[in-house]
Amino acid sequence: MKDFKIDTSEKLTTGFQIPEGYLDAFSEKVMQRISKEEPKVISFYARNKSWIYSVAAVLVLALSLPIVNQLQNKEQELSSTEIENYLTQNKSVSDDDLVNLLEQEDIDELKVNTPISEDALEDELSKNIDVEQFITNEN
Amino acid sequence: MLNHDDTDDVLQNTFVKIFQNLKNFKGDSKLFSWMYRIATNEAITFINNKAKRNGTTSEAMQTKIVENLQSDVYFDGNEIQIKLQKAIVLLPEKQQLVFKMKYFEELKYEQMSEILGTSVGALKASYHHAVKKIEEYLKTN
Repeated sequence: MKDFKIDTSEKLTTGFQIPEGYLDAFSEKVMQRISKEEPKVISFYARNKSWIYSVAAVLVLALSLPIVNQLQNKEQELSSTEIENYLTQNKSVSDDDLVNLLEQEDIDELKVNTPISEDALEDELSKNIDVEQFITNEN
Repeated sequence: MLNHDDTDDVLQNTFVKIFQNLKNFKGDSKLFSWMYRIATNEAITFINNKAKRNGTTSEAMQTKIVENLQSDVYFDGNEIQIKLQKAIVLLPEKQQLVFKMKYFEELKYEQMSEILGTSVGALKASYHHAVKKIEEYLKTN
């Protein structure tokens, strides 16, 4: 192709045509869209809707964490009967283990609930081979 | 814009936007430049979004449209006009913009500077590069 110089050769147009009557119909189309889209002006909430919802969701989650924690703690307390059942049924837990878990309060309670006569106590102790160990522990 | 339907969409978007934002027009630039800037931004955004939707790049999409210009009912350019369009789409975006504004639309550099926010010197350089590349393309194709 022979040399074509942009600034000196014959000036070209883009080659695109505007369809007949396009501009007349155009202003009509734009006016219709403007009247349809105009109520959009309330926008702050609408434009930020998803943001507001996600912030709210995060807040709800964060604030409900302590509640969830509490519920879980309650569940643990409720299951103490289950622990008791487990301990009494499970043979790998010896009486000694259980005794070690007793607190002063529990021992006092046992005293009240199970009055044992001196004779019976002496009898039991004499039968038990490890009696000396218990006596020293008592002191 | 290289296709009638897309141009129609962009032009509508542009005027709707101008109407909605007219109250924000501060008069620190000429109304013409302000409107032209909105139109330019709308066009670039439109092309990029369309390319993204079609999983391609805007360059590839533009090239494809130009390849099929002859079958476009709204295009009645001759052979050299088609070649000119083909040469233009090969330019970087900024050079395309500057070349079209200067050559087809015959805007002054001062007006282009206000629209694009680029210095007159930089625009002249862009135009110069664009002209060089286009002439090179026309010589070899």
